[in-house]
Amino acid sequence: MKKLSLAAGSALVLAAAVTGCGSSGTSNTSNTGGSTGTVSLNFLQNKPEVVDQWNQLIKAFEKQNPNIKIKQINPPNTDTTLQSDLAKGQMPDIVAMGADATFIQMAKNGVFKDLSNAPELDKVSPVYLKMLEQEVGKDTPYALPYTVNAVPIIYNVDLFNKYHLKVPKTWDELMNEAKQIQAAGGTPFYNGFKDAWTLAPIWNALAANTEGSSFIQDLKAGKTTFAKSDLTAAKSMQEFVKYGQSNQFGVDYNDANVGFAKGKSVFYAQGIWTLPVIRQANPNIKLSTFVVPATNDPSKLKMVSGVDSLLTVTNSGNTAKEQAAMKFIDFLLEKKNAAQYANAAGLFSTVNGVKNSDEALKPLQPYIDQGKVVDFDDHYYPPAMAAGNQYESVLQGALSKKQSVQQLLQQLDSLYQQSASHQ
Amino acid sequence: MRTRTNWPAMIFLIVGALFILFPIYMAIAVAVKSPQELAQSVLGFPSHIHWDNFRQAMSITHYWHTFGNSLLITFFAVVLTVLSNSMVAYAIARNMHTPLFKGIYYYFFAAMFVPFPILMLPLVHQMSSIGLANRVGLIILYIVYGISFNVFVYIGYLKSIPLELEEAALVDGASRWRIFWQIVFPLLGPMNATVAILTGLWAWNDFMLPLVMLSDPNQYTLPLVQYAFQSQYSTNYDLAFASYLLALLPMIIVYLLFQRWIVSNVTKGAIK
Amino acid sequence: MRLLKSVRRSWPYLLMTIPALVLFFYFHTWPALHGIFLSFTNWNGFGPYHFIGLKNYVDLFHDHQVLHAYGFTFLFAFVTTVLVNVVSLLIALALNARIKLPNTFKAIFFLPYVLSTLIVSFIFNYLFSNVIPDVATQLHLTALSQNLLGTRWAWVGIVIVSVWQGAAFNTLLYLAGLQTIPDDVYEASSIDGASPWMTFWRITLPLIAPFLTINMVLAAKNYLQVFDQVVGMTNGGPGTATQSVSFVIYTNGLGGGELSYQSANAVVFLIVLVIVALAQVRLMQGREVQL
Repeated sequence: MKKLSLAAGSALVLAAAVTGCGSSGTSNTSNTGGSTGTVSLNFLQNKPEVVDQWNQLIKAFEKQNPNIKIKQINPPNTDTTLQSDLAKGQMPDIVAMGADATFIQMAKNGVFKDLSNAPELDKVSPVYLKMLEQEVGKDTPYALPYTVNAVPIIYNVDLFNKYHLKVPKTWDELMNEAKQIQAAGGTPFYNGFKDAWTLAPIWNALAANTEGSSFIQDLKAGKTTFAKSDLTAAKSMQEFVKYGQSNQFGVDYNDANVGFAKGKSVFYAQGIWTLPVIRQANPNIKLSTFVVPATNDPSKLKMVSGVDSLLTVTNSGNTAKEQAAMKFIDFLLEKKNAAQYANAAGLFSTVNGVKNSDEALKPLQPYIDQGKVVDFDDHYYPPAMAAGNQYESVLQGALSKKQSVQQLLQQLDSLYQQSASHQ
Repeated sequence: MRTRTNWPAMIFLIVGALFILFPIYMAIAVAVKSPQELAQSVLGFPSHIHWDNFRQAMSITHYWHTFGNSLLITFFAVVLTVLSNSMVAYAIARNMHTPLFKGIYYYFFAAMFVPFPILMLPLVHQMSSIGLANRVGLIILYIVYGISFNVFVYIGYLKSIPLELEEAALVDGASRWRIFWQIVFPLLGPMNATVAILTGLWAWNDFMLPLVMLSDPNQYTLPLVQYAFQSQYSTNYDLAFASYLLALLPMIIVYLLFQRWIVSNVTKGAIK
Repeated sequence: MRLLKSVRRSWPYLLMTIPALVLFFYFHTWPALHGIFLSFTNWNGFGPYHFIGLKNYVDLFHDHQVLHAYGFTFLFAFVTTVLVNVVSLLIALALNARIKLPNTFKAIFFLPYVLSTLIVSFIFNYLFSNVIPDVATQLHLTALSQNLLGTRWAWVGIVIVSVWQGAAFNTLLYLAGLQTIPDDVYEASSIDGASPWMTFWRITLPLIAPFLTINMVLAAKNYLQVFDQVVGMTNGGPGTATQSVSFVIYTNGLGGGELSYQSANAVVFLIVLVIVALAQVRLMQGREVQL
């Protein structure tokens, strides 16, 4: 009996100890660590490709600011993680993510700090600042654009030359080259479609260029449907998957990056964020890019480009934390750091005066400079449709089962109806 | 005749055992290879053990810290579950003739059929509003959610314990509490072992509850950390598998050490 | 007076039970009731909300994704439950036969049970995605060179991992059941000239029928709530092919801003599970009597 109550007693003491250190990790006050005035920040970023780069930046920042400790979180599913963090009142203090449905929904609901009076606004591109405000649908900046991406076709220069190809100007030219490669026993595209989201880049490039610029407004107003406006995009998509490797729905994103890097295909239809990962898997590969020739009319072609990472601070009501977070953002906006990150991540920087020096991105630069860019379609889909890879799953399902374009579009429409009604 | 081996059964078991062991062999083979060696052959026998994978995996996942989280949660969940659930079961078992306790019994029993997803979404809000969306909250949930099944198992066993001992103690003036802790609880030994093993395995290996309850990476458990860090391993499968093995290893060691005891007690619990 | 006495007598019992009862209600039943309440609203996790009656429930029956999730979940749970029980019964019969190294075999067959389902699923994911296609390509077996998890047979992959792990526990239960059958029953049967096949159907199976019932009910309940395996292997793909009900409730409810809608889904799921459990118990009990 004595032994037992002793065990129970010590269990309670230990439980109290766990509670103690448990609360320190989650509490809003900056009481972690012994030294007073140390602020611990949780920093969530959604790009698995750049975990190391962020850790380097964080290290450099912590060296300059020994009183601020930053912990990087890179969850496999940002949407669910953020939503449940919000439900628990345990939002990360700083978030770097794409301008996706989850961000938009949260910004609308006042989760993030209003940056209207922040001096940092002057340091970044007004074009992309505007794009963010449009997405949220308010004239208030809730985030700073940090980097922007683009969806081109990436190609392996050696293989490209081996097949005597030239940069295609139209969709038909691209498909003909693909046919030519396939006939010669090669693989035109290497796709990582086991991860549903990897269908998004090419879909967005095709849809945004073919559905007409008022599609989203018309869709919301009930004037059009996916079936009416995205028929061309869906047909192109269907044509496109004919030229992927036979196992394209069984290879995931990571393996696809490596496969392309190892020369398994000539082209790779992915965002420019894959460039560093491809080079990591094969440092000797020669890469170049061209804008997805989504239409047969080159004069109207636009490049899909959206805010890849925005920087935003959570409204925590804790001034010390918010100030520390802004300090980190100031650090990130320094030209040297912005350039370091953009180059390492294979992206264009939005910080004024910072250019990406990557040769492979040169063919895309004119589109950025001339403003011939269009935002990702899916940034405007209803949250329940875009979050959690919902619409990508529809594409993945229909294309892997070789369903007709009508079936594919019909499923997109019914998903849209449902998502719009559960907002 | 009596000692002849049943060879068809033997062959079936050997094939089955190979089927069980193959993925585990593969996991080890991948984990101990360098990336270059892995590129040449996945299943081949490694020429030498590449310990660096384990070192790197440990630093990425903050292994000892994460291990500590899993250990703390499992330890308290097991100890407190055995102490509390056995007592609840005892009180119910000795009063099954009263409508009140019978009602309580069926209430717990029926709850076994309530799927977790129905509580999941409101629970996240509820736990965070009282500051328990953390390790302590997890421990509480394991203890409380275990009641349904454990009471059911304990009661089956309690029925077989004769009442004479307790009645004699009662005549001697012992209180119900003393009777339970001094007489009944020790007699529940095998059942306590069963409940402890099942609770331990559940709390140690569980993924869904930590996934929805824990937001702070400092509190992650071993399975959750494998999920949360999978993107960081990218295609470094050697690293990922070293990390998987490190997460599985503590339970495998415990199992190998106490294998007979675990297997026999799980069975005891099952057949009462 | 009698009442007072009985209260005093049961006082310690009540003290032992009430705290657990209160905690259980607070942490289990209350959120469940809250979930039922939310299912009649349009709350998405934050902000204001209002009542919308049965709209969520009506929508569920038109939602392809949700209906499909029930289809997959039932198919998966049925196939897995049957396979797990057949496989574990076979293993148990073999373990109960005269074999060498019985304890070693027992230890091996129970091993999967102590491993984390999520991590086991990661391991099998690699096996299906990288190892099998590579080996098959080398051996020119085109049928196997595709990653099973990227085809419409992805659900089979999830069945395989579940049987690999799930057979362990049921094997032990069946073995325990078989060991309660005394040897002389078998001897009597073999003297009567019954074949091993007949002995199994006429004697073994009826005697372990109670174990069959409980195994089936527990297995079905677990597999209907399949989640870890889906997350670890397919993330619901390809398309929505392997999205289970639990998976849909988790991803759409927490990540897709459909909190109240998925609460309605969870309520339907509860009703379905209860019906399945009751039906199983009825069915199996009926069989036992017949046997």
